[in-house]
Amino acid sequence: MNSKQKLVLIIGIILIIAVLAYWYSQGAELFTKTQVLVDKTTELDRMLGVENKEYVDKFVLGLDYAGAISAAIAVISGVLIYLFKNKRKETL
Amino acid sequence: MKKIFGSISVLLILFTSLAFAQGFKVKASGEQSFNFADKGGRNQASFFSTTPLEDIRGLSNDVKGTATFNVSDIKTLKGKISVSTASIKTGIDLRDEHLRSENWLDAGKYPEITFEIKKVTDVKQLAENKLEIRLLGDFTLKGVTKEVSATATLTYLDESEQTKMRAPGDLLGVQATFKVKLSDFGVTNKIVGQKVAEEVEVSVNMVGSNKVN
Repeated sequence: MNSKQKLVLIIGIILIIAVLAYWYSQGAELFTKTQVLVDKTTELDRMLGVENKEYVDKFVLGLDYAGAISAAIAVISGVLIYLFKNKRKETL
Repeated sequence: MKKIFGSISVLLILFTSLAFAQGFKVKASGEQSFNFADKGGRNQASFFSTTPLEDIRGLSNDVKGTATFNVSDIKTLKGKISVSTASIKTGIDLRDEHLRSENWLDAGKYPEITFEIKKVTDVKQLAENKLEIRLLGDFTLKGVTKEVSATATLTYLDESEQTKMRAPGDLLGVQATFKVKLSDFGVTNKIVGQKVAEEVEVSVNMVGSNKVN
């Protein structure tokens, strides 16, 4: 493995770890969500014995998208590693 | 003698009916009508279901309805609540579309989900302004009507400066839950490929006013 291939491999691994870390920090949801439930219960609601929750627009990365992005990074990294291998052979 | 017995019987019937009547001990009296029209969209109905992969909570903020009852006797309660089928959200746009489709709730053909109160039983006085009751009613989903039993907590607040911030008049808070078997209403229990539980828990949280038309 030459230095370019090593660099691609390291960048690929770092990107995949970053994507998975971001997915984990977002709550490690299975499916990507475009809205999340937020508790908006007020003091008057509590006096009336009711609760109030609302869906608000928010993008939450799920394992479906995180997995697809990671797979894409792995494929691109693999292709680049292969291409750099070929280039090295040609120069020889 | 007959007159005396007759009078005693009438008094006994009146006494027993008054003694067993359970209702709110608030300033208001007599029959009150509450309207659950809510321009702020704070009234809500939700459902909770589980799939092998994740839990799903659907929520609608388009809930309306009316309730009429005698303040001192909650068993006189009559009313109807309706939810706009197309307004239900689950947090995932694709799933919402699937929920509105023909396979699930068919929002185009059946724009409303309704619950009509028929009978009140098992009244428990939790506080002077708070009652826990069991409601028997007709639940209509996807054009199919079935009788369901719901547990509800009703809270009555007399008009005050604080309640006026929400709506004019006295306020009635209703929190109710009941379970629905999807197959009873012709709903297939798959949503975006995930098999959901056969039984879905439905909850309603809403506040009505007796001065809102």
